[in-house]
Amino acid sequence: MRNVAIVGIGYTPVFVSKRRDVCIPEMISEAVENAFKDSGLTPADIDAVVFGNMQTFEGVNLPHLWSADYIASLGKPVMRIATGGTTGMSAFHAGYYHIASGLHDVVMVVTYEKQSEGDSQVGLMGIITPEIMAMLAAGIDVTGQKGMGAIGGGSAGGISYQASSYLHHSGAGIEHIDAIAAMERRNAAKNPYAHLKDPEATAEKIAQTPLISWPIRFGHVCPTSDGATVCILASEEKAAKLVDKAAWVWAVANCASDATTGNLIEGIITDPAEQMPAQIAARQAYERAGIEDPKKEIDYVEIYNGFAHQTLMFLERIGMCEVGEAHKLLEKGELEMSGRLPVNSSGGVVSTNAIGTSAMNRVTECALQILGRAGEHQVEKEVHKALAHGWGGLMQYVTITILADKPKKL
Amino acid sequence: MDKKVAIVGFRMKSAPDLVTTRERLTFELTRGLFDDLGIDRTAVDTTIFSTNDFLDGRTISNVFLDGPAGAYMRDESKVEMDGINALMYAVIRILSGQYSTAMVVALGLTGSQVSPYLHVEYQLSPVYDRQMRLLNELSAAAFQARSYLARYGYSEKLLDEVAAQALSNAAANPNQARKIPGASAEQVASSSPYYEPLRELHCYPPTDGGCAMLLASAERAKELTDKPVWVLGMGQSIETFYLGERDLAKSPSTAQAAQRAYEMAGIRDPKAEIDLAEISALFAHQEPLLAEALGLLEEGKAEEAYRSGDTAISGKMPLNPSGGALGGHPISATGIIRTAEAVRQLRGEAGDNQVGKAEVAVVHGQDGPCAQQNAVLVLGI
Amino acid sequence: METSEATFITPVVPMDFTYNYRIGPYMTRYLEGFKERKILGSRCPACGRIAVPPRKYCGVCNKVMEEMVELPQEGTLENFTVGHVILEKGQLKAADAPYVLGLIRLDEKASLLLHRVEGVDPSRVEKGMKVKAVWKEDVEGDYGDLDHFEPA
Repeated sequence: MRNVAIVGIGYTPVFVSKRRDVCIPEMISEAVENAFKDSGLTPADIDAVVFGNMQTFEGVNLPHLWSADYIASLGKPVMRIATGGTTGMSAFHAGYYHIASGLHDVVMVVTYEKQSEGDSQVGLMGIITPEIMAMLAAGIDVTGQKGMGAIGGGSAGGISYQASSYLHHSGAGIEHIDAIAAMERRNAAKNPYAHLKDPEATAEKIAQTPLISWPIRFGHVCPTSDGATVCILASEEKAAKLVDKAAWVWAVANCASDATTGNLIEGIITDPAEQMPAQIAARQAYERAGIEDPKKEIDYVEIYNGFAHQTLMFLERIGMCEVGEAHKLLEKGELEMSGRLPVNSSGGVVSTNAIGTSAMNRVTECALQILGRAGEHQVEKEVHKALAHGWGGLMQYVTITILADKPKKL
Repeated sequence: MDKKVAIVGFRMKSAPDLVTTRERLTFELTRGLFDDLGIDRTAVDTTIFSTNDFLDGRTISNVFLDGPAGAYMRDESKVEMDGINALMYAVIRILSGQYSTAMVVALGLTGSQVSPYLHVEYQLSPVYDRQMRLLNELSAAAFQARSYLARYGYSEKLLDEVAAQALSNAAANPNQARKIPGASAEQVASSSPYYEPLRELHCYPPTDGGCAMLLASAERAKELTDKPVWVLGMGQSIETFYLGERDLAKSPSTAQAAQRAYEMAGIRDPKAEIDLAEISALFAHQEPLLAEALGLLEEGKAEEAYRSGDTAISGKMPLNPSGGALGGHPISATGIIRTAEAVRQLRGEAGDNQVGKAEVAVVHGQDGPCAQQNAVLVLGI
Repeated sequence: METSEATFITPVVPMDFTYNYRIGPYMTRYLEGFKERKILGSRCPACGRIAVPPRKYCGVCNKVMEEMVELPQEGTLENFTVGHVILEKGQLKAADAPYVLGLIRLDEKASLLLHRVEGVDPSRVEKGMKVKAVWKEDVEGDYGDLDHFEPA
């Protein structure tokens, strides 16, 4: 195992609902150019490329093939990773292993989504629609397993079950979901790469947005965004030559349950808020990073929250606070940029969701906080260790990355 | 690379139509693999899937395979490419020291597809080729075939001879989908024309199939099998997307990938040191073309090599003794099935397809029209 | 457990996805050129090669191509195939009649342009033939404006 550092980060200049001015690889190339500018590296320095986006959303199969000429990849090994919503972090992990294995020294990880070109709700329904059609055609009951998948995957439907279960078990109320959503919209207003920004957002304002399916309101839901993020990773030896200060990977972990998790109707596993994979992956990551008490040792957290309640729910699942405690931390202002446990000062996924980049941006945002380069959304406390969380699949897959301000002792 | 990562077992299956579901196929392959090795799912540290959502017709298709593969509440990821790349990721993960075993599960149900060629259509540029509706996987391959034949002045008969050899090998192989016993060059030459010079039997058949394979660190491999097959080298590379800018008669990205793999494996003279090759040639011309890029055939001598029997199972440089992808191409699984076939050879378990000396094998996998991206493995015992 | 064939079904999902692809400034420029019956390419500042249709990056040099160049309307057939089949929505079907697709070189430095070659017996097509562009009568800046090539 070798130490791996983040030595360069590049975003597209904006993350917005529609990039009408460029085609897909042109948009991706903007982030690549910015990563080279940020790191001072050139294409010749890159040993290998990892590429990720949400499969099928834009109707381009293996889009790394079309993008190859735009991402400085010709003549290099290119690996395409696709794990749904978590793709960005799964690709980052692949980049990490490329270097940790000793096979490569400098690896560029390219992630993107141009959601305006497809229909993400149709894309998500596509997870399950063929199965449903087949089941209906064959006279099979669709209210079980995969039927639930359809409800959960394609809309905020399944998510509302998750949110209500979270509220029930934590003692939080819908007003807390409003409050965390407002906090993240305000944070997003300070992040030049965020999509939905509202410096004046308040819980009261969010509470006035239409209810979709209790307790999920319009103001709790992520947008669909166009954007790309590129991250350049390097081995310890290379990083020492390239940069004065880097963010170091201390642990990566992931865990899948199966697609029947969250199955309310058959009652196999009844709680979509349980998120056992988050608990398992976090535990593994802490062990690998040598972290005994995450509450004390982790300074900053980026949660993948397609829906606002997930910030609070996942903080509990990954052991950053006790069950039922997250909304109390929120009430005390401890999750704010100025707080004791700042979370999603970037605005989170709920403010910006170019899906392929969403789990990657959790990592790059943690890195910027560690490097003290987050600008207006830099948190007040010093960040020595940060945790990035990714969530995806069919509500059943979680990735975790722990970064620190110095290399890990091997 | 020293003997650090080994293939310790595999299960594979293919047919024109397996009449099955992805979940059932995944379960059969992985459960079978566990039974072969006397392990259960907890012995698998990480699972890497290789499937394609366009082929499966559902987004994040592999989530439904987590349960059947035994990956429930466990570590998992997915490489959406040809399965040989998923295998490379498994090797990389083991080399990192984080994992001591890694399972690759690759499958593609292409034969039973309503639209078996849609997969590649969606790889083309949506803002040009898909609007023009001129280019497709088969017409692109035809340009490549003509370009290759023209470069060395080969006659189109070479394509028939290559295909006949592959189809005969495939007919003898119980793992293959397309069975044409005693396939002759004449039979190939009289099959229906697709895009000239390519005919039906020069092209891969849409196939259902899959493969589950377990890899392990050196230490763990010794506990799991008496016949480990070692990954000695691997390499991968990509070339430009634009067909009109590629030298179609050669495969520079295959040559680069091979160079990387050979360097890792310490191979200086591939013709002398490699005993057999399993090449993902989706079209007849690609077998000699890629074999040249792999440094296994002398450029310009393909006709002699095939006619003299050098490339046959009993020859000096057996190419696709399994029958290769002309015997079956379950998209996403083809490269890893080639790997499994090479493992059978190296273990001396290839039955009627067994080559003489089998100590070092080279395996190739590809993605993209006209093999835009190529991956190469060197395996040894 | 073996399951009999009869218990399986083949669902055909009656679903067509709609995508809104932005073509970007380079392809826009290419199609605008069509309005004046011009074939445009972009030249790499490093290697001098010309991409037709134009695009932003020369992947080999990793350079942004900014210069647009107009290409001649006459060129050489470098490679060709006679199609006896068509692929329609991923399904292989027989073509109504054999047809010719060619890779055409319009300039020594330019990439090969794929197009239909008409006005020649498919059995008599040859590499090296001179061919010229044939435009639709009414050009409107659409992909189909440059209709096909024919022997020059």
